[in-house]
Amino acid sequence: MAAHMDRIVLPGDKISDLKESETSKKVVLGPGLRTETEDVYACKPGVLKFKEPNVYWIDTHQKRYVPVKGEHVIGIVTQKAGDIFRVDIGGSDQASLSYLSFEGSTKRNRPDVKVGDIVYSRLLVANKDMEPEVVCIDSHGRSSGMGVIRSGGFLFKTSLNLVRKMCNPQCVLMKSLGNKFPFEVMVGMNGRIWVKGRTNKETVALANAVCAAEHMTNPQIKAMCHRLADALAGFE
Amino acid sequence: MADEVRTAQPKEFYRKYLEQGVRPDNRELGEFRPTVLDIGSKNGSCISTAEGSALIRLGNTIVICGIKGELAEPKTETPTEGYLVPNVELSAVCSPQFRPGPPSEQAQVLSQFVANVLKNSQCVELEDLCIAPGKMVWVLYADLICLDYDGNVADACVLALTAALSNTSLPVVRVDEETGKTETDFKEEKKIQLTCTPISATSAIFEDNVLLVDPTRQEEELSTGLVTVVTDGKNICSLEKPGGSPLKDQQMRLCIERAFQRHTEACNLITQSQGSTLSTLTSPLVDR
Amino acid sequence: MEVMETSTNSPCLAALTCVLGDLSQADGSASFTHGNTSVLAATYGPCEVRMSKEILDQATVEVVCKPRVGLPNCADKYRERHIRDLFQATILVNLHPRSSVMIVLQERQDDGGLLATSINAACLALLDAGVSMKFLVAAVTALIDKDGNINLVPEEKPSDVEASASLTIVFNEKDLQVMGVTSSGKFSQEQYDRSVSLCRKATEHVFKFYRESMERKLSKSV
Repeated sequence: MAAHMDRIVLPGDKISDLKESETSKKVVLGPGLRTETEDVYACKPGVLKFKEPNVYWIDTHQKRYVPVKGEHVIGIVTQKAGDIFRVDIGGSDQASLSYLSFEGSTKRNRPDVKVGDIVYSRLLVANKDMEPEVVCIDSHGRSSGMGVIRSGGFLFKTSLNLVRKMCNPQCVLMKSLGNKFPFEVMVGMNGRIWVKGRTNKETVALANAVCAAEHMTNPQIKAMCHRLADALAGFE
Repeated sequence: MADEVRTAQPKEFYRKYLEQGVRPDNRELGEFRPTVLDIGSKNGSCISTAEGSALIRLGNTIVICGIKGELAEPKTETPTEGYLVPNVELSAVCSPQFRPGPPSEQAQVLSQFVANVLKNSQCVELEDLCIAPGKMVWVLYADLICLDYDGNVADACVLALTAALSNTSLPVVRVDEETGKTETDFKEEKKIQLTCTPISATSAIFEDNVLLVDPTRQEEELSTGLVTVVTDGKNICSLEKPGGSPLKDQQMRLCIERAFQRHTEACNLITQSQGSTLSTLTSPLVDR
Repeated sequence: MEVMETSTNSPCLAALTCVLGDLSQADGSASFTHGNTSVLAATYGPCEVRMSKEILDQATVEVVCKPRVGLPNCADKYRERHIRDLFQATILVNLHPRSSVMIVLQERQDDGGLLATSINAACLALLDAGVSMKFLVAAVTALIDKDGNINLVPEEKPSDVEASASLTIVFNEKDLQVMGVTSSGKFSQEQYDRSVSLCRKATEHVFKFYRESMERKLSKSV
């Protein structure tokens, strides 16, 4: 399978010799791949990835978010319409957010949400034919970190694959930054990141560090974090 | 029953017909709809106030073309050339898809297409429209108005325009060298000479592989692409395929061949209708 | 933001240059230069669509062609329609119903073959944005001179003989079939056939160029 791994493909490239699972004789096609008649074609430009036993997908570099069910996103409340809020999550359509999908909210006890608030939420419905719907509770009715964020900090937008890279367990960015100074961070799969350091200066430095890490390797990230901590401490 | 299928599943409806090599309106795949041409002259039935006019019916599609002449000064860079300004109007009369107001995008695209055909084919020598070099030339406004939009307006427009131009006569205008005054002699008229007769033929691509000549509006909507070939009998004057599904070289060749066939048919039609006032072209294959 | 510049020289085409991701706010952008003709393309989408243009089962492709100076005229509209129809068939529009993919093309310099350059720039911008497509498309313009010789535009050595016709032909990468044609001037069927085979060969270089540009961009983010 080495021939397939990490190969750059463009839309329309035919992908042959896919490795099937030994038991089910099936191949799982992830994002960026599609079938036409019997063949598999790429439909997005990117790097072809493979995971044992039979999963293929294409890692694309893109900026525009296409909602996927279950993903955590950071949205901005744009409108209050009766019982629902409209939330801009960066996709083609605005998502809806019910006032009941907050922890502990009831018909009597409405959550305090205003237009312009940042909400960290999860996509409950994400379907190309339907309006996306986000919620701020998990299946047990707990907030588990989601909800309205109103404690300062800084929200910025990056490319989708920087977000994916940050969420990768192998990426050292969050760990190395965390070693240097404490901060809060929220990462939305829609390319929006919210950070908050102890001071405004730290917050801005953190945001810049995250943006700068887009094309860095792990050792480079470590070095960069080191320099950043030095600079903030006033050594440079 | 058939009507229900036609509305509910138009693609399926067409597929059933095309499997048999025939279209729902009894035509074969390569056959044009019956064409009726009415070329107007000063005493004809079309627009009597225009310098030249023609009305064409292509099945249900109706396009009327009027040619008006005006006098104007030529451009400094081309002192001996007149102007020929085509304009296609898709008014709200012809189909509910067009709204009253400024020209729709399609109307602009069609106008540009007709202008391209005129420019490429050079069927009217712009120098023939010159009255006094650098001082006065003819401006011919060719207004094409679609009265009923049932697909393939491009072909109808080109045929209407060619027919109208072939029967356009302009009064003789003389400019007095000394006084600069113009004198128009309405009794003496001069016909515009066409160097060639551009005729277009459009095919719609259905489901990537079937070519339907002269598509109706429903066929246009179902199609995955259109090919328009304009010929002057010897050469290709314009070949337009704006996107849509890919076409094999073989299929493109077929489109070109059909355009040449259509040219012969349409030329006969124009000559016939110049004799009489009304002519109909029905393919011998169809009994109507 | 990253800016990547790739350029190539091929035997039959004038130099191709492109910069991907030039614009920070657009979802995808490409500045493409072919010889002395240059076009800047930006794409947005899939994003919200105007109600009047909404299509229930597929995405609406919107193309805007901006001339170098002045307001867009009929010829620009004609170009817009051509490019829109082309990409409506190229982008996987069924994946994003009721949304819009917007392509904005700004002419920078026109030294022949503007339509072809616009199409290539749009395709690169769509690649940069990561929009799902069925296949890649590329366009090349051929000139037929009065002696019947066929040259590609922009020519490296412009011939002295005046051109009598020009053909812009768009091919797809999958099976190199003709996706779109526009012409000006008169030509014969035989000349058309020869132009197709010449352009077909030349587009292979353009496709190779696409690949090189994208490889450079993606190798950075691996």
